[in-house]
Amino acid sequence: MSSTTADVIVVGGGIIGCATAYYLAKKGTDVIVLEANESIGDGGSTRNAGGVRQSGRDPRELPLAMYAVKNMWPHLSEELDSDVEYCQGGNLRLGKTEKHLEILRGLRDKAVAQGLDMRMISGDEVREINPYLSEEVIGASWCPTDGHANPLRATMAFYRAARRLGVRFYTGHPVTELRKVKGAVRQVVTPTQTYEADRVVVAAGYASRKILASVDIDVPMSNVLIEALVTEMEPPMFPQMLGTAEADFYGHQTKHGSFVFGGDSGFERVNKDEGHRMRTSSITAPSICRGILRYIPRLAHAKIVRTWAGYEDVCADGVPVLGKVDEVPGLVVACAFTGHGFGISPIVGTLLSEVARDEPTTLDISAFRYDRFKARA
Amino acid sequence: MKEIYDRTRDLGPFEPKPGDDQIVCRCEEVTQGEIRQAVHDGLFTIAEIRRYLRCGMGLCQGQTCARLVKGIVARELGVSPDELEPASSRAPMRPIEMSVFAKEGEDDE
Amino acid sequence: MKRYDLIVVGAGPAGMSAAIEAAKHGVHVVVFDENARPGGQLFKQIHKFFGSKEHRAKIRGFVIGQELLDEADKLGVDVRLNSTVIGLYQDKEVVVQRNGEVEHYKGDSIVVATGAAENMVTFEGWTLPGVIGAGAAQTMMNLHGVRPGERVLMLGTGNVGLVVSYQLKQAGCDVVALGDAAPRVGGYGVHAAKVARTGVPFYLGHTIKRAEGTDHVTGAVIAQLDEHFQFIPGTEKHFDVDTICVAVGLSPMSQLFKMDGCKVVDDRKKGGQVPVVDDLGQTSIPGIFAAGDVSGIEEASSAMIEGRIAGLSAASFLGYIDKPELDEGVGSNEAALDGLRQGMFAPKNRGKKIENTEEGIPVSTSLLEHGFVADDEIERFPGVTHRQGIHPVIECTQNIPCNPCQDVCPKHCIKVGDHITALPQLEPDAQCIGCGLCVASCPGQAIFLLDETDVPGYADVSLPYEFLPLPTKGQRGVALGRDGKPVCEAEVVSVKRTKAFDHTAVVTMRVPADMAMRARFFKATDDVQAPAAPAAKA
Repeated sequence: MSSTTADVIVVGGGIIGCATAYYLAKKGTDVIVLEANESIGDGGSTRNAGGVRQSGRDPRELPLAMYAVKNMWPHLSEELDSDVEYCQGGNLRLGKTEKHLEILRGLRDKAVAQGLDMRMISGDEVREINPYLSEEVIGASWCPTDGHANPLRATMAFYRAARRLGVRFYTGHPVTELRKVKGAVRQVVTPTQTYEADRVVVAAGYASRKILASVDIDVPMSNVLIEALVTEMEPPMFPQMLGTAEADFYGHQTKHGSFVFGGDSGFERVNKDEGHRMRTSSITAPSICRGILRYIPRLAHAKIVRTWAGYEDVCADGVPVLGKVDEVPGLVVACAFTGHGFGISPIVGTLLSEVARDEPTTLDISAFRYDRFKARA
Repeated sequence: MKEIYDRTRDLGPFEPKPGDDQIVCRCEEVTQGEIRQAVHDGLFTIAEIRRYLRCGMGLCQGQTCARLVKGIVARELGVSPDELEPASSRAPMRPIEMSVFAKEGEDDE
Repeated sequence: MKRYDLIVVGAGPAGMSAAIEAAKHGVHVVVFDENARPGGQLFKQIHKFFGSKEHRAKIRGFVIGQELLDEADKLGVDVRLNSTVIGLYQDKEVVVQRNGEVEHYKGDSIVVATGAAENMVTFEGWTLPGVIGAGAAQTMMNLHGVRPGERVLMLGTGNVGLVVSYQLKQAGCDVVALGDAAPRVGGYGVHAAKVARTGVPFYLGHTIKRAEGTDHVTGAVIAQLDEHFQFIPGTEKHFDVDTICVAVGLSPMSQLFKMDGCKVVDDRKKGGQVPVVDDLGQTSIPGIFAAGDVSGIEEASSAMIEGRIAGLSAASFLGYIDKPELDEGVGSNEAALDGLRQGMFAPKNRGKKIENTEEGIPVSTSLLEHGFVADDEIERFPGVTHRQGIHPVIECTQNIPCNPCQDVCPKHCIKVGDHITALPQLEPDAQCIGCGLCVASCPGQAIFLLDETDVPGYADVSLPYEFLPLPTKGQRGVALGRDGKPVCEAEVVSVKRTKAFDHTAVVTMRVPADMAMRARFFKATDDVQAPAAPAAKA
């Protein structure tokens, strides 16, 4: 096979692209992955707090998360021959006011309706699960099967495993356009080279929008900056993934001992960079810290060693766009993950591999169709 | 095309070398052998190595090991260290306690 | 948010110079530094600086540091210590950690002068306590008054390795050897020579194989390298040491520039990642300037000039001075900087093997390979002459920008000339009066006075001496050669100390006349076996 043709070309070397390539290669499909940046996983894949969470998901997305937690995450390290640091420590979504608890009950009701074990617990029960939480916490939703993993490791693990299976990765290859040949997508154009395949999977985060525009397809999404921070190593304290009803921070303690927390200051949507550069603002990390310390006072002296920023491709209706595109035969889209793509990445990779191979899909993905925003024909 | 963009490059089997058990990144206790192995696994950039192994992500943020890691990766890839983009730098310049970061002070002078 | 005309990050030589220069022109400036004391590395620099008057040559670094602080004080520069700049954010916002909280400031302009950090090498046992950076050793000794160890192996023969080795000896440590993987001494030959003559062996083309010890360093093994930098079996040498000092270069601490999005390049000649700057020290973001080691590793002298240029540039950027004033100020500073960047060790010559001096004299290979000029090489250099009566012997053999010897001699005996890197020579008709000023002032300690006429059969050799206890008049001992090996018996005939010598004593020892061109250091006899004095001269 020529070096520029393959069965499937995946555009985007993030965790979704790498996972898709891995599951495709596992079934014997010949795959090329084109990543615009120099490094694998430069986008949201390595800029999230690592939640492997079912609770709090949109009902359309919840089945994917439940499937991944039940069938994939527990074996993923073994599957990829690399520790992704999966920890099924449960998820506490914390509330400090009656209004918070109201929000949490709403989330619980939706989840329970789909069969997820998620319950409301009192402040004291919260502190039995996690004694480091402050008295300000009056209640929480608790989902014992949620957890977290290391997104940096997981992204690299999918990449490494896919590469071992013969997937051809090229980084520094920004895709400028897709070209149809005889009505179907065929060519993938970069500044230096044109690649060809019968199937093209576009999983390039917000950048997908411009690429899809070349074949007159659009996904209504925006590019939203988020920030995260990491502390030095601390002795093991608690295994849960934490979130709040107020959404002022989220995060967990990693296997390594450091704490990773994400959050925002409220001004990210109107930041001046407008998506050109991923840089932190002077107010966000302090604001995240203030949030955290009200819930976990014990971390007052934990030292932050690094802060960073990244973009979320936020969909107009809050869930991703996944699947085939009727008007562009051969094209498969996977973007607009809205900041919660990491936890479902193994199942999304599996589903996309199935779609690209014209196989029946493990789960129904019709709710994620690209044309859900369009007038019905 | 930069040589490191082509991830289909086969660096051959991983051969242990003297010094592989030596720690290179002190903060995160990452050894030369782990770094070399990661390069053989297709991690060709400093950013990828950091993401995978954490080297340069500890208390000193790579002040001590960045140059050493770069040298090891470049040697393993057979490229000049100049071809490797250095890792990004992020605030804070020095580790800072959460309670301090959380507290916005006034200029009192 | 509190606004300043200029925020300077780093109160070292570059930052303080920038602040002073800007303040002189009316700029409202604040300096932040994470340390408890200002001055950066200057207060660790207890040696005399090279250069010319305008570079404050022959003045010790810490004195220059104090002068800078006094000047800043007079101008009302606000220097805030224990203040760590943790981030440089969009729109010139500087975030400072101070007094247990973070403060946000806006600078209309910013000079980043954060300096550099020490490089490391890895070897078996390099993480053991006792393996330290040479700069760290210098901090312990010269700032905190703590000896880093008893017996020290120094790795690296650049100026830092050489200067710190000398200072370790001054602090009473036993420097057992200097090793360097390079085949040639990297720093100034005169720095090497002043260490070698005290008896420290140099091992070029050698590097460390391992540090020994379980919970701290108890020994070290070095071995010779072949041309592929592989150890040559059988060349191992073991040293009982408790400290291994690593002096393998510095890397600019340019993180703040990267964080803020200034264009940065990796430049090996500048020591690592440095911001891209124009002639005025301005980075790719207008109003943000770089000065000192952070923009390329050099010396404190050049850092101070770069700082002044950055200060002037900021003053111009802010509208405090007009173009002609800027041009005039920058012009004279650039000339001074240019003066420092001349000679064999100029940044442009880094890594080059230089065979001949500017005068066309073959450089001393022994100096490069062993740290001292061999006895049969020394005569070819212009400062080395034989005369009746007392006269200087100037063992300055490399072209470095330095001329205090010319300036201090009250009788104008020594000439460097307008070309500051030229090797000094003696004016044929000038009459030396033996005052010793040249001996004490030479930052390289490369000038000796010789008098072969005082007592028949004997010669008096005067040399610079900076160790304690000082020898005393009448004390007997041995003279060491340039290689640090005993050459003959010696008797101290005078020890001169004056204010003008600035703590460098001029020790005169009497040696047999035929040793006049070989004896270059005095050692009291309690621990050295002197070779028997030649019978004829006894």
